[in-house]
Amino acid sequence: MARRTPLTPYQDLLNRAIESAHPYSASLELTYTCNLACRYCYNPVARKNQPRRNPPPPPPGPPLAFEEYVDLLDQMKEMGILYLTFTGGEALLHPRFWDLAAEAKKRAFALRIFTNGVAITEGTARRLKELAPFCLEMSLHGADAKTAEALTQVPGSFDRQMEALRHLRAQGLRVYLKVVVTRLVENQLQEIRELGQRFGYPVYFDPVLTVSDDGDPYPLELLASDEAIASLYRKEGLNVGNSPFEREGGEYNCTVGTGMLHVTPYGDVQPCTQWKQAVGNLRKARLREIWETSPLLKKVREVNRAVPGEIRRTVQDHAFCFSCPGLSRLTTGDPLRVDDQYRRIARIRRRVAEEEGEGGSVNRVTIRPETVTRP
Amino acid sequence: MVEQTVHRRNPDVSWRVIEGQAVLVFNIEGEVQVLNEVGTYIWEHVEDQDVETLAGNIAKTFAVSEEEARRDLLAFLQDLRKSGALL
Repeated sequence: MARRTPLTPYQDLLNRAIESAHPYSASLELTYTCNLACRYCYNPVARKNQPRRNPPPPPPGPPLAFEEYVDLLDQMKEMGILYLTFTGGEALLHPRFWDLAAEAKKRAFALRIFTNGVAITEGTARRLKELAPFCLEMSLHGADAKTAEALTQVPGSFDRQMEALRHLRAQGLRVYLKVVVTRLVENQLQEIRELGQRFGYPVYFDPVLTVSDDGDPYPLELLASDEAIASLYRKEGLNVGNSPFEREGGEYNCTVGTGMLHVTPYGDVQPCTQWKQAVGNLRKARLREIWETSPLLKKVREVNRAVPGEIRRTVQDHAFCFSCPGLSRLTTGDPLRVDDQYRRIARIRRRVAEEEGEGGSVNRVTIRPETVTRP
Repeated sequence: MVEQTVHRRNPDVSWRVIEGQAVLVFNIEGEVQVLNEVGTYIWEHVEDQDVETLAGNIAKTFAVSEEEARRDLLAFLQDLRKSGALL
């Protein structure tokens, strides 16, 4: 399909990094501890009222110590990783969060912090301001306490989140709000967008529900209706997407095993946040050695390259289809077999395109328009 | 105006060299800048070489005259100071 606009030098550079498997982004899952109990949580540590089939797996060892993280940051810097995401669980609950963030800043990483905001006080917001992170990405679960807390299962959490947004706004921090579209919030999507607007923060809606890290599909009982998903793609629709990087073109489907990597609290290295399989462990090998020699990572890259062709071959609405091989692997057992959610979303997008008279939509990962590139 | 001899990168600007090009992330502004080969060389050495040494090395490395190297270097450093990338 023809591009609408030429790639910027930045977009072109990211594509080249992906093509040569130069990781430029990494996420560190600092902890599985969390102060919420969201009904769709994929985290392997069980929380109340989550109907899981399997008990949580025993941890493979002690979590990474502070000194191990510092060494990891040096390794990541040497490999040229630029964007560093602190996530969890709830990242802010890691006992050494501020020290780790300071070490990341000393090494000139562009820090993204994923948080639910519940632990953000006025003092926390001031400390975050001093850190000058690239952005915070905060999860929202509804436009009011009743809706949000039906999902988070923690009374009072919604008000804490609204307080957090006030403090973050007062400090002038950049925040992207993220909402997973479930049947619990599908009648409030516009209200949630307006809530974000009141704080001056954009809201991005994710139409995909991930299953649990061990493949347990219990989150899928919260799947939203077709019409709710369709509302994300209409001309006057809401923002879609959960990545700040625009990428178009190139042979690879996404950044798995190429532009990004993920590290669990126990030092397992994964090809991305969603591909839940260790390609190595940092207590057994250096990161560069894992990245350059892991046979499993090599297979992951082959899969990444093969996914667009598989989509074209097996999905009727392939022009509208995106597939995450990590999630497909969890749900179907085969990363190349496109998960039903992606097929469904493609069907819905095609219907919207037909209804709105468009010729078709470009198969792309949506950008955040705020990421401006300087000439 | 006396040119600063050694410069300091702004700690609120994150950066890496990716595929041979420096990518600068202006965290507060939320903007990204990609430098070309010469810009990348300057950025990598701006804290450990003074202006005269840097100009001489640019001239040698990129096969340009010292005069041209010095002129372009000074202009680029001024741009970087103006944008906030250098303190």
